Amino acid sequence: MSVLKEKELRVIGFLCNWCSYGGADTAGVGRFAQPTDLRIVRVPCSGRINPLFVLKALLGGADGVLVSGCHPRDCHYAEGNFYARRRLEVLKGFLPVLGIDPRRFEYTWVSASEGQRWQHVVTTFTANIHALGPASFSPEARELQILNAAAR
Amino acid sequence: MAIQDDIKSAIAEVLPGLSCVIGWGAGPEPLRAAPLFMRDAADVEKFTAGFLAVNNPALFLPALKGAKVGLVVKGCDARSVGQLVAENLVKREEVHLIGYPCRGIIDMDKTAAALEGRCEPGEVKGLREEDGDIVLDTPGGEVRLAKTDVAADKCARCRYPNAESADVFVGEKIAPVVERDDYADLAAFENMELDARKAFWEMEMSRCIRCYACRNSCPLCVCRDHCVAASREPHWLTQADGVRDKLFFQLIHATHLAGRCTGCGECERACPVGIPLLTLKRAFSRQVEGLFGYTAGLDQGMPPLLTFKLEEPAIKEREW
Amino acid sequence: MRIGVFICHCGSNIAGTVDCASVASVASTYPDVAYATDIMYACAEPGQDAIIAAIKEHRLTGVVVASCTPRMHEPTFRKTVERAGLNRYMFEMANIREHVSWIGKDMEANTNKASELVRMAVSKLRLNRELKPKSFPVTKRLLVVGGGVAGIQAALDAADAGLEVLMVEKQPTIGGKMAKLDKTFPTVDCSSCILGPRMVDVAQHPNITLYAYSEVESISGYVGNFDVKIRKKAAYVDWSKCTGCGLCTEKCPSKKSYDRFNEGVGPTTAIIIPFPQAIPKKASIEREYCRQFNTGKCGVCAKVCPTGAINYEMQDEFIDAKVGGIVAATGYDLMDWTVYQEYGGGRYPDVVTSLQYERMLSASGPTGGHIKRPSDGEEPKDVVFIQCVGSRDVSIGRPYCSGFCCMYTAKQAILTKDHIPDSHSYVFYMDIRSPGKGYDEFTRRVQEEYQARYIRGRVSMVYPKGKKLIVRGADTLMGTQVEVEADLVVLAVGAEAAKGAPHLAEKLRISYDSYGFFMEGHPKLRPVETNTAGVFLAGACQGLKDIPSSVAQGSAAAAKALALLSRDMLDSDPQIAAVNVNRCVGCRKCIEVCPFKAIQEIDLRGQPKAEVIETVCQGCGLCNATCPQGAIQLSHFTDNQLLAEVEALCRF
Repeated sequence: MSVLKEKELRVIGFLCNWCSYGGADTAGVGRFAQPTDLRIVRVPCSGRINPLFVLKALLGGADGVLVSGCHPRDCHYAEGNFYARRRLEVLKGFLPVLGIDPRRFEYTWVSASEGQRWQHVVTTFTANIHALGPASFSPEARELQILNAAAR
Repeated sequence: MAIQDDIKSAIAEVLPGLSCVIGWGAGPEPLRAAPLFMRDAADVEKFTAGFLAVNNPALFLPALKGAKVGLVVKGCDARSVGQLVAENLVKREEVHLIGYPCRGIIDMDKTAAALEGRCEPGEVKGLREEDGDIVLDTPGGEVRLAKTDVAADKCARCRYPNAESADVFVGEKIAPVVERDDYADLAAFENMELDARKAFWEMEMSRCIRCYACRNSCPLCVCRDHCVAASREPHWLTQADGVRDKLFFQLIHATHLAGRCTGCGECERACPVGIPLLTLKRAFSRQVEGLFGYTAGLDQGMPPLLTFKLEEPAIKEREW
Repeated sequence: MRIGVFICHCGSNIAGTVDCASVASVASTYPDVAYATDIMYACAEPGQDAIIAAIKEHRLTGVVVASCTPRMHEPTFRKTVERAGLNRYMFEMANIREHVSWIGKDMEANTNKASELVRMAVSKLRLNRELKPKSFPVTKRLLVVGGGVAGIQAALDAADAGLEVLMVEKQPTIGGKMAKLDKTFPTVDCSSCILGPRMVDVAQHPNITLYAYSEVESISGYVGNFDVKIRKKAAYVDWSKCTGCGLCTEKCPSKKSYDRFNEGVGPTTAIIIPFPQAIPKKASIEREYCRQFNTGKCGVCAKVCPTGAINYEMQDEFIDAKVGGIVAATGYDLMDWTVYQEYGGGRYPDVVTSLQYERMLSASGPTGGHIKRPSDGEEPKDVVFIQCVGSRDVSIGRPYCSGFCCMYTAKQAILTKDHIPDSHSYVFYMDIRSPGKGYDEFTRRVQEEYQARYIRGRVSMVYPKGKKLIVRGADTLMGTQVEVEADLVVLAVGAEAAKGAPHLAEKLRISYDSYGFFMEGHPKLRPVETNTAGVFLAGACQGLKDIPSSVAQGSAAAAKALALLSRDMLDSDPQIAAVNVNRCVGCRKCIEVCPFKAIQEIDLRGQPKAEVIETVCQGCGLCNATCPQGAIQLSHFTDNQLLAEVEALCRF
C-alpha cells in the first residue's frame, strides 16, 4: 500500500487514547476538515511511545511523524506524558545527526476537548511536511535501486 | 615504571579481601594488552598499566554481582562504574576501585596509520613512553610518535583523568586535558549537510557485519543474552542483511544509552570495521547534558530519561 | 488466523465520502483475511447479527470493524464477537468516520486512507492474543466532591440505596450556590425551603459522612479501590464541641470581614456561621480577619464560647479513606466581570452582580430582604438588568452561553416588582433563551404581567450622574439609542467552572476543557461518566446547567455509581503489562518509572525479576517503553502489535 501519488505524503501519528485520540475524534465530530495524509496509531499513553517507534517509522519511509498526548499534568496515567516529553525532546535533537530534518518529527499536547487545536496541528504539520517534501532517507530503497540497476 | 609498582602494591594489599582484581596484562601482541583477572600474587606480577591499558574493566562488573571485586580504573572506567552504581545495577560496596592518573591510551587504528609503510602493528616488539612521546621498537628500528597522534580520540577531550571516585588512588592527580567537552567532533560532523550525513551513515552501516562487538564491549549494555536484537518477542529487528536493520540496531543501542553513556568509546574501539559508533551516542549525550544538566557516570540518581520534572525549563515546546 | 473485515457505511456518514465496497474488496487481499464485506450499519442489530453469522459461517477467529471511533463502539463490538464465541480481544476497529469521512471530502484519498487504516487494524489483529480479565473486590463506598444541590442529590440517592457516602465540601457549609438564591425559577419557590430539608437529610443520614470545610488533598488507586486523602481545614473551632449557638459571632469585635456567603453585600465578623440554615451549623474563624491571629490580642470568642470550642492552635487534619467510586460535583463560580470597564469595572457601588442581588432579595440576607442601594441604602426605583455579562462574548474569550441567566434575570425582575411595587425594571438582552418546561411562559409573564421593559441590545456604557447611574445602550429592534437613568444596575454575570476545578481534574485524572469544565465520557451517551473508570460527574462542573438539570445529573451519577458499586467483584482490564521472566534481567527500570507502583521485584531462583501486580497495573505501558530488552510487554499494545501497525504504513 502506498500513499496517493502527487497528493499525499506518508505521515504517521502516535496518539494517546485518552486525550489526543479523543481530540482527533472531537475534530471529526465537529467536521473540522484536515489533510488526508495522516495515519493514526492509537496507544494508551504517550508514555507508551518508545522513541524507537518514531525512528522505525522514519527509517521505514515515513515523511513525518507526529506524537500527541495529554497536556502535562493532565495525563490519564498521571505521569506518562512527563516521561514522553523528555524522551521525545531528546529524540528530536538527535535526528539531525542521522541526517533527518528534525522538522519531520513533532510532539505536542492536545486534549480531548481540543478538536480545533487538533485540526490546526494536523494541518500545520502536514503542510510543513509537504514543504519539506518526501524524505530521501531510505537506505533500503537505495539498496533496491542498486540491485535493480545490477539486474538490468 | 614506578607507578606500576605502586599499583601492584595497592592491588596486593586489597586482594585478600576480594574475589579478584581486574586490570590489564599482556595481550596477544606487544601493542595489545588484555583484561587481567588477578586472584593471587603471581597474577599481580602480570599487571601492566599505562598507554596500553585500553579495555574498560567495568564491563565485567554486572556479571560478577554478589562478590566483591577490585578494579583498577582509568578516569573514564570509573565513570562507567559510577553509572552502573547510580542505576543500582552494581552495588558500590561490592566494588573496590583503585585509581591512578591516566595519561591517555593507544588507538590502534591511528598507530597502524602512523606505521604505514614501515611495519604492521603486529610486528612491533615493544613500546616505551618518553617525554610525552611513544617510542616503538619495530623491525626497522625505533619509531618515535607524538602521543597525541596515536592516543584515542576520547583522551583529547578527557575531563576526568583521575578516577575521582576511587577507594584508593595511586600517584599524583593530574590536570584534566580540557575543562569542558565542547562536542567539537559533533560540530565538525554537522558541517555536513543533512543529506551528506544520511549518505555517510548509509555507507558506514553498509560495512557492518552484525557481529555485535559494539554491544558486547559496552559496560552499560546489561541486557547481554536478552538483547532485543536476538528476539522475536519483541521483534524489533529482522535478520535481514540490510542497511536499515544494521542502522536500526545502532539506534536501539544509542537510545538505550541515552543519558547513560559515559563516552568510554569501547563500542567504537571494538568495531572490527571501524564504524564511528560513538558519534551517535555522543549526540544523545550532548542533548541530555544540555537539557537536563546530567553527566552520566558522575551525577547521582537515575538517568534523566527514567525520571521527570513537572516543569522542564530547558524544554522549549513548539507553539502551534 | 481467519479474519473477517466489515466496512460500515454508517448510512451516508461514511459511505458519503468513502467507497466502502472498494475498501472491502481491497481488504479481502490482506493477509489472513478470510472474509470482507461492507455493511450498512454495523452497530445496529442487523449489522451485529450479520457479523455473528459471518463469524460462524466463515469460521472467523478475529474481526475488524471499520466504522466510527473505538472510543464509541469498541465495547459494543467486543460484546458482539463474544456472543459469537470469540474472545473479546480478538477484535480491532479502524476509525474511518471521525478520522476519515468526517474530516475530508476527497473520495479517492478517503477510500485509500480507509483501506490503509483497515490494513493497520488487520496487521495488529494478527498478533492479538486472547485475554481474560481477573476479578478483584470492590470498596462499597462513594466519595462525593462538592455539596451543592447536584452533590447533595447524588449523595442522598446513593445513601438511600444503601451505599456508604463521604461528602467533601470546601466551604464551611453545604448548599452550594442554590443556598444563596432567594427564589427559584419558574415557580418562584423559596430556594432555601426546598433545599434546606435536603441539606438536613445529608447531615442526618446514617450512611453519609460529611466533611465540610475540607478538600480532597490527593487521590490514588483505581476504580473500585481509590485511596483518598481529605484535608480537613482548621476552623479554629472544635466542631465536636460547637453547638452553633452563635454567641461568638455576636460578640466578635472584628466586624469588617468580607462576607463570602453574602457575596460581600455588607460585612460580617471574623468568626462566622455562614447562614442560619447552614449544615453543619458550626462556627469557623476566617484567619485573615481575626484579631487574635493578626494582633495576638483578642480572644473574645474563646471567652464567650459556652462549650470551650475555640482553639486557636488548631491545625489542618488529614483523613485517609478508601472509596470505590467518586462523583465530582464542584459546580461553578461567576467569572471576573470587572474586565468590563464599560460597566465601571467594579468602581460603582450600585452596579452589583446577580448573586449579590439574590442575597439582597433574601429575607435571611444581610439586608433582611430589603433591596437597598449599596451606596446610600436607599430603595431603588429604576433597576436595570444587563444580561450576557461574560457570556457569548468572544472578545473576552467567553464564547459560550451560561444557560441560566435569562431565566434568573426574569425571576429577579418579578421579585423586584414584588418587593418594590412602584419600581420599574429594564432588561438589556441579546436573545431570550428559555427552553424548558414553563420557562418561555415565565419570560412572557415578566414582560406582560410585571411590565418589565425588555430591550434587545447591548449596553455600551454605564456612568454615574449625581445619585443615578446612566445606562446607555442600543435598542436593536427599534434601531435607536436608549438611555435609562437607573438607581441600581444588576449584571447577569456569566459563569465558569469553579475555581480549582482543573486542579481537582488532575487529581482525578479526568479531562477538562479550556474553561475548566470536566469532560464527560461521551457528549450524548455518557453524560455523567468520565473516561476514568469509577469517576462520575454531576451538575455544573460538567457544563453550566440549572437546578433541575443538576439534580437530574446528581441522580444519574448516583445511578451509575450504584451500578458499579452494587457488584462485589469487578473485572480488571486485562490490557495490562506482563513480564517475560526469561527475558527480564532485573534492572528495575520498570519499577523505577511505574506511576502506580504496580511492579515489584521478586526473587526467582536467586535472580531478581520484575513482577506486575495485576490489579494495580493501569495499562499505561510506560514500563514497556522503558524496558531495554522488551521483557515487559503491555498486553494488546505490545511492541510487536505497534510495530505491525507501523510496518503496515511503511513504504519500505
